[in-house]
Amino acid sequence: MKVTVKRWHAVAQWRWDTQTSNDPQDNDDDDDDEGNVCGICRIPYEGCCPACKMPGDDCPLIWGECTHVFHLHCLLKWLNTPDSKQQCPMDRRTWQTAERKVPVINRA
Amino acid sequence: MASDAVRAQVSAKWQESFARLNRDQPGITGLLNFSRAFAISLSYLHPRDINDPTVVRSANVPHVRAAMSTVNESRMLPYVLDGYLDEVRKRFNLVQKDVEVFMAEYAESSDPDVIRRLVFRLLAWYEAWTPLPDLGPVILSGYSLTFQTLLFSNLPPTFATGFKALCASTLPSAIPPSASTPTPSDYKMWAAFESLGLIDRFESILASVGYEHIEAYVLEMCKGKWSEPMLEGLRNWMSGKVVPWMLLAYARGAKSTEEARNMLQGVGSRFDFHMNKTLCDLRTNEIFDIIIDFPDSMGALVDLRDCLQRVDQRAELVAALRKANQKRLLHPGAETKLILSQYVATIKCLRIVDPPGVLLFKVADPIRRYLRERPDTIRNIVANLVGDDDTGDSLVDENEPIQPLQQADAEDYSDPNWEPEPIDAGPDFRANKPSDILSTLVSIYDSKDLFVRELQVLLAQRLLSITDDNVERVEKERRNIEILKIRFGEVALQVCEVMLRDMTDSKRIDGHVQSQEESVVHPTIISKHFWPALESTNLIMPGQFQKLQEDYATQFTHFKPDKRLRWLPNLGTISLRLELEDRTVEADVPPLEAAFIELFSDKNIWTIDDLTKAVGAVDRAAALNALSTWVDLGVLKEDEEGVFRLLEVAEEKSALTKGGKARGTEANPGAGGDGVLPPVTQQQQQAEQMRIYWKFIEGMLTNLGNLPLDRIQTMLKFAPGYDQTVEQLGAFMEAARREGLVVVREGMWRLNR
Repeated sequence: MKVTVKRWHAVAQWRWDTQTSNDPQDNDDDDDDEGNVCGICRIPYEGCCPACKMPGDDCPLIWGECTHVFHLHCLLKWLNTPDSKQQCPMDRRTWQTAERKVPVINRA
Repeated sequence: MASDAVRAQVSAKWQESFARLNRDQPGITGLLNFSRAFAISLSYLHPRDINDPTVVRSANVPHVRAAMSTVNESRMLPYVLDGYLDEVRKRFNLVQKDVEVFMAEYAESSDPDVIRRLVFRLLAWYEAWTPLPDLGPVILSGYSLTFQTLLFSNLPPTFATGFKALCASTLPSAIPPSASTPTPSDYKMWAAFESLGLIDRFESILASVGYEHIEAYVLEMCKGKWSEPMLEGLRNWMSGKVVPWMLLAYARGAKSTEEARNMLQGVGSRFDFHMNKTLCDLRTNEIFDIIIDFPDSMGALVDLRDCLQRVDQRAELVAALRKANQKRLLHPGAETKLILSQYVATIKCLRIVDPPGVLLFKVADPIRRYLRERPDTIRNIVANLVGDDDTGDSLVDENEPIQPLQQADAEDYSDPNWEPEPIDAGPDFRANKPSDILSTLVSIYDSKDLFVRELQVLLAQRLLSITDDNVERVEKERRNIEILKIRFGEVALQVCEVMLRDMTDSKRIDGHVQSQEESVVHPTIISKHFWPALESTNLIMPGQFQKLQEDYATQFTHFKPDKRLRWLPNLGTISLRLELEDRTVEADVPPLEAAFIELFSDKNIWTIDDLTKAVGAVDRAAALNALSTWVDLGVLKEDEEGVFRLLEVAEEKSALTKGGKARGTEANPGAGGDGVLPPVTQQQQQAEQMRIYWKFIEGMLTNLGNLPLDRIQTMLKFAPGYDQTVEQLGAFMEAARREGLVVVREGMWRLNR
């Protein structure tokens, strides 16, 4: 017997790729929300920051060299406060945006 | 011996009396004249038997009159009268006899005409015995009083009924409306009534004749006719038909219309009130059906409103409607949808009847309490809102302007147009401002959050069921949401907005991915936190499906490098074409079915345990369900329990294509025809057993409407000998569904009718 798929209407969720390593095997889907929230607003990455209404591309993430990930808007707001001293709010190292994960315009 | 003084006194008296009787005539001429006049008077004033023709009243009226005046001048008239009335009393048995004759006849024939003749006969007696009219009113009234007293004390009780029938017969008959006007004989009869004092005596009977006539007419004309207001027509009928009769009965003496109007005022308004009351009672009894018929019953509602202003029966209306609702609406047999639409109709109807809403408040309270207890109320309301309704008739009037939900707010006493609550409002009456229907429905519950949540779930279901990029349907949902935003507020529906955007984004992304690398996969990509919790399983798609998923995900990540896809493999549908040795089968199936059949392309025989293992851990019941789809399509066959074989060559379809009941019957020996009997599997035996219980299930679903599977299972456990598991029941119900006996919707089963 030969099974041919003519059309597949599938359903999927999108996730931010929050893993810092490039290892695709690491992309384990865990629903552990605790690890998947923005350290500033405590809202899941796939949600949107308090200032936004639409998740996803309208409220992107920002990846830091220090492996910490935040909502872009949350982090910018933080960095704009004098108290931040341009440090990552999690580890107090100077914030450096990771090159690899800068939100990019469609390149494909 | 008497003294002189006494003697003088007596003689003075004598002289005086003599002088009076003799009236200053010489000698005793006067006295003789008097005694002649007295004799004439007595003989004239004699109650004669009118049946006896020999006794003829002496026609010498002037003679009698002269005699009478002579007696009168002598102030002896009262004595004459007393004697006469005594005579009347003594001779009344003559009248009595007549009455008995007529009443006996009436008892036999029940013909009101007998009474009519009796009345005229009585009148004849009365007139025959009437003293001369110029004897003055004192004598006349004394006479008629005596006569009436005697008459009434001698009339048998049955006369009242007869009299009533007679009165009724004089009314213009209601149906068909005849244009009969009072005939001269009617006038005569009413005059006779009055002379005999019957009208005063039987006033209550007369009134009841009028009432009953009105009642009969109102019932006849208005019962079940709700489309037009009846009150106007009834009023016309009253003034056209009943008033002439009332004129006869109550205002015969009137000389001008003005006078007649005055005489009729009291009784007329009583009759008018009675008409209103009858109509009001009728409509009160019919109110439930009137509401069902709304808006075709507009006329009846207007009538009811007008009647209620005249007749204070609001409490009765509330009681009647509450009782009817309790009996006919608020029971387990009524579908929630039905209750809701009746509730909405009630709101609309009672707003017509009573704009301030007091009646509505009192009636609505039990309905609202009942609806609150129903689990599927919200779902029904929301489904109706988004137009996801089988019937298509919307609870909410489409012409109604869409407006934000209104919250019951505190009274604004600084409002110059403020009005106090209506007088019969209860203590917990909330001034229900005429708000829109939806606000009223939503206010059944304390918070609108429940609605929003339900709306979200429903929207998710509907969006995910859109398979073929149907832009129109997405647009339709978007329109719906836009409308609902106005009602529920922008913020509450933000989540729905995201869901809709996911739909368009998915389409855009899919368009891009397809342009890079064609794929049969067309996913809907959703934002996890903005969709209601979707059931997830650990289903792993085997073979080519896995490859398809991975390829697509890779393309997606190329497009959106910082995002990944996580499949929800148990959702969606797959269009498949199976190329078998002798045939091709095409089917649209859920993923689990697709996964199973994919496994069969490697190996022809699988056990159910191996199958479930191969696709990750899935529920055994779900697996059985999925496999039975293929069994029904004639692609698989269950050789023995839990072992399935791919049918590369189609087998005889008997015993395979049908599920449930049919399977058992067709497997009967001799029914096959080809001689090769398929082995009776465990499943078939179960199906056979379940046939017994089908009656129970059918009854249950008929009586209780929609039921979830586990509820059916719980109830079936009460049936004797029932030992099936809920999974078996599920499979059976699924089979029944394929046969078109039941339908399932969101886990609720109901009969397919």
